[in-house]
Amino acid sequence: MKKPLGRNPAILLEKIKESLDRLNEKMEVFIEIQKGKKQDFVMQDLPEALDVMTLLSLPDHLRKTAVTICKLGRATAEEVSEHTKRARAVESGYLNQLVLMGYLKKERKGRKAYFFVEK
Amino acid sequence: MGKIIAIHSYKGGTGKTLLSVNLAAAYAKMGKKVCLLDMDFRAPSLQSIFELNGSDYWLNDYLNGACEINKVLLDYTPRCECNGTMLVGLANPTTEALRDMSAKDRKWEMRALGRLLSLKNSLLNDMELDYLLFDTSPGLQYSSINAIVSADVVIVVSTIDASDIQGTKRMTHELYDLFEKKTGILMNKVPIEFLSTPLERDSVSKRFENTHTLPVLKIIPCFCDVLRAGGTKIFARDEPNHPFTQHLREIAAEIEKF
Repeated sequence: MKKPLGRNPAILLEKIKESLDRLNEKMEVFIEIQKGKKQDFVMQDLPEALDVMTLLSLPDHLRKTAVTICKLGRATAEEVSEHTKRARAVESGYLNQLVLMGYLKKERKGRKAYFFVEK
Repeated sequence: MGKIIAIHSYKGGTGKTLLSVNLAAAYAKMGKKVCLLDMDFRAPSLQSIFELNGSDYWLNDYLNGACEINKVLLDYTPRCECNGTMLVGLANPTTEALRDMSAKDRKWEMRALGRLLSLKNSLLNDMELDYLLFDTSPGLQYSSINAIVSADVVIVVSTIDASDIQGTKRMTHELYDLFEKKTGILMNKVPIEFLSTPLERDSVSKRFENTHTLPVLKIIPCFCDVLRAGGTKIFARDEPNHPFTQHLREIAAEIEKF
């Protein structure tokens, strides 16, 4: 039987941490949207594929993240940051931006968010 | 862990295929395990150079997801007279296949990139190859850029033709740099009178390096007997003492250090 959350501080803290993580990711996306507002990158027609010509057309900082995901197949922001040598929070922002642009998909498994190219 | 090398150029006819074939043979002669893939789906040429009958599966089939890479590879080792291993993957040269490959959409090209990227695992990790060489199509083609993105090192072959030099310079800034690739230049078919003394050779090399802002790995003179052979002879195998073969060994060593 499921324990009420209030009686187990460890579970409660875990839930609070998860919520904070999600909130943090949403904030990172929000920051990226603010940064790129002029470019209006939330496009009406979502692109179909993250092919090499599309990779060439991306700004340098997003290309690096996108190529890394192509190489890894499926990865968390942490794993991408190990390859690019940039901060996890930075990669999380770029990955979420690529999701918004329609190039990547995001899937949540427990506390981890995985990013991948839908083939 | 082995290396993936893409051999590319801005223009056609620079000598990419001849250098790819001979570089692969030079590595195999040095005892390395090497695989050469024909990534020029617009004008496949490895089948005629190696005089192979083809296989049940082509590289086209691998990229289509119709088979695994081991079904495509042909073992050229017995005919290579080498201490190492030499595998070859052919592109389908039939008109129907050329037409089919030129009509692929962006989604297919994206999946093809994924298949090429996974060769690092299947060929370098699992089969423990030392070198995987991609002989590419010139210019900005999907298949060439896919090969460049999948490679660790890009070798750009250029002649002294002014349009070739300008095009190579543009590609350096608009392609190789954007993918942060280790890139080196091979100047090919350079007239021998430009290289008659070591001083002249150095000055030519510096001039090209300043133009390209990339290291010039080797300046290869124009060898009439290499041209005369019409691509039918593998010099690294058949003419071990030829100066062209000596150049190839030096290029192989340069790439190893690269």
